Amino acid sequence: MSGPGFERLEDVIADEAFPELDLALRRGRHVDRDDGPWYTLLVEAEPLLVAFYRRYDAELIHRSDGYFFLLPTSDRLGRRHLSVADMLVGQALTLLYLDPATVQHGGVVDRDQLLGQLATTLGTDALVRALNPKRRRYDERVAEQTARAKVQEAVRRLSTLGFVELMTDGRLRLRPALLRFAEPVRGTADPEAELSRLVAAGEVALAPDDADAADADRGDDEAAADSAHEGGGDDDGGEDGP
Amino acid sequence: MAQDPSLDPNRLLASLVERRVTLDLGTIDLCFVAALYVRAQGSGLTSFGEQELVGLFEEVCARVDPAAENLRKRATHAIQRLRDQRMLARIDGAFIARAGEYTLSRLASGIVEFFLHEEALTPESLTLLTRTLQISLDEVAAAARAAQTEHDWHTRVHGPLRVTVTDLVAGIERRQRGLDVQQEALQKEIAELLGADWFGAVERCQGLLDRTSATLRELNEVLLRDTHQLHASLQDVLELCVERGNAEGEEITHRVVEQVDRIAAWGSARQQAWSDYYQYVHRYLRDVVRLDPTRALTERLRAQLSGKTGRAFALTVARAPSMQLLRDVVAPPERPPVKRPRKKREEPPEVVSAEDPRARLEARVRQLIASGVTSLAEVTARVADEVREDERFATAGRVAETVARLAKPRADRERPWRPIRDGLEIEEWALWREEPTG
Repeated sequence: MSGPGFERLEDVIADEAFPELDLALRRGRHVDRDDGPWYTLLVEAEPLLVAFYRRYDAELIHRSDGYFFLLPTSDRLGRRHLSVADMLVGQALTLLYLDPATVQHGGVVDRDQLLGQLATTLGTDALVRALNPKRRRYDERVAEQTARAKVQEAVRRLSTLGFVELMTDGRLRLRPALLRFAEPVRGTADPEAELSRLVAAGEVALAPDDADAADADRGDDEAAADSAHEGGGDDDGGEDGP
Repeated sequence: MAQDPSLDPNRLLASLVERRVTLDLGTIDLCFVAALYVRAQGSGLTSFGEQELVGLFEEVCARVDPAAENLRKRATHAIQRLRDQRMLARIDGAFIARAGEYTLSRLASGIVEFFLHEEALTPESLTLLTRTLQISLDEVAAAARAAQTEHDWHTRVHGPLRVTVTDLVAGIERRQRGLDVQQEALQKEIAELLGADWFGAVERCQGLLDRTSATLRELNEVLLRDTHQLHASLQDVLELCVERGNAEGEEITHRVVEQVDRIAAWGSARQQAWSDYYQYVHRYLRDVVRLDPTRALTERLRAQLSGKTGRAFALTVARAPSMQLLRDVVAPPERPPVKRPRKKREEPPEVVSAEDPRARLEARVRQLIASGVTSLAEVTARVADEVREDERFATAGRVAETVARLAKPRADRERPWRPIRDGLEIEEWALWREEPTG
């Protein structure tokens, strides 16, 4: 168990919750109050752990919204960028998180609400096209089916990163880390300037232009095919790794 | 314990579907039924005349919908609707002879009672109920100690346990359900307040949350304190039942213990659930509402998601590769090559007699015929004796063929079958030896 504050890094590492927490942070997990002992350990050992992870060229970030995450600043630790589907779904979930109607159910939404939010904000056609970027001509039914599957996959990936919690009944509990998706528009500053600041800080990466995007999509396809072949396939985002 | 057949869900549902049971009560109808119930209870009436029904309906309309017109006509329709749905029953049997007398059915009374008793638990009502329950249980325990006869047990222990105590516990449970409904409504109200007034609703939401939290905390404290005492009293009653071998009392007490357990479990579960909700809403008010008093963030985020403003971007997250553990080096076991046992393709030659068996058979048959044997059965039997058992059947056929060739069989009209050896039977022929001609 973690004590009330730590004086030495050795004590932090010796804490029984540390190994799992460390692995989770290195895999991109966002940790908030609902994570109980992990969050407590991070709060109590924050100064020591910030210095510890800086040696790996990674920043342990603590947001005032009540969550921590690890942000690699070089390629020493692996890092990656979320895919288009992850970003769309993440932003739609953030809109639901901000919606006062969600308060009635304690921040729990179902998948239909998520799809409804996406369809309302983007429009059904734009949503289907965004989630089927490589298909110029497609069967409507198949494309919608693919879009739904991609949304499901994105939700699963976001849950492994601590943005949402998958409940046993299939519903989603929204977590405060979702507010990361709203970072560029949160402040009073110009969103473009805010976005540039976040890019400079390494917190986000700008999406490539259309031509680059097509190349990236092809690359994603190959990577997805490779990972599926290897039995992986847990993400289809861009990746920078050592 | 056998289940009541009327509680069989298949039968119950089939019966409801077959009868096409529906309930369709508007607010006015419901108010009308409630007014009838209250009037019946207040005045000790068991039935209402038609004029009373119409009068009461007009009173209800005057309070609920003062602008309503054609009240008598509407009353007629309302009465008919209630009769169709078996809420109001005509009980006089006079039919057309005179105006009817009506009474509320059990269904209508049940509906009104539901709304009358839909009370929520409060610390005051809970304390009152648990104290009354405690007094009743103490009396039951005292009665159990003093009970001498079976009649004493029935009247002073089983009866109060089954009726008074069970009703009091059920009363607490009913109020718990009422509080659950209130909490749901409160959650809805908080969401609506935020939806309507956003930043302006923060203080009111805070107040609602704090009040409910305080109520739940008090309720849980009362439950924790009182259920302990209730359990102690029930344990006394249970021990007395066991001591006196009173199985019925034991069963009833167990049932009450389960009910009390349920009440206590409700308290802690609700407090936990409310605590989670309370924390969530507090965080929401602090992190979302207070930091975005004009609700601009939602609009800006919506514009960002729809691509109307800004450039598309992707969040960066850590992704340490999984640690790779190399397996221990293990020399692969030597596997024998796949092969199958070889079989000799050519069998070695077998030494056989050069003598022709057919010629030998023919010679033997010829010899027997020459010796004067005049019956096919006898020839066959004697030849068969000289061959192996498995060859006898085939040999019999060959003998018949040879005999037919060498001698002249005489075929009678009736040709009997004669057994020879080992269940073998053949058709009997009498033989004439053919004299060589020339």
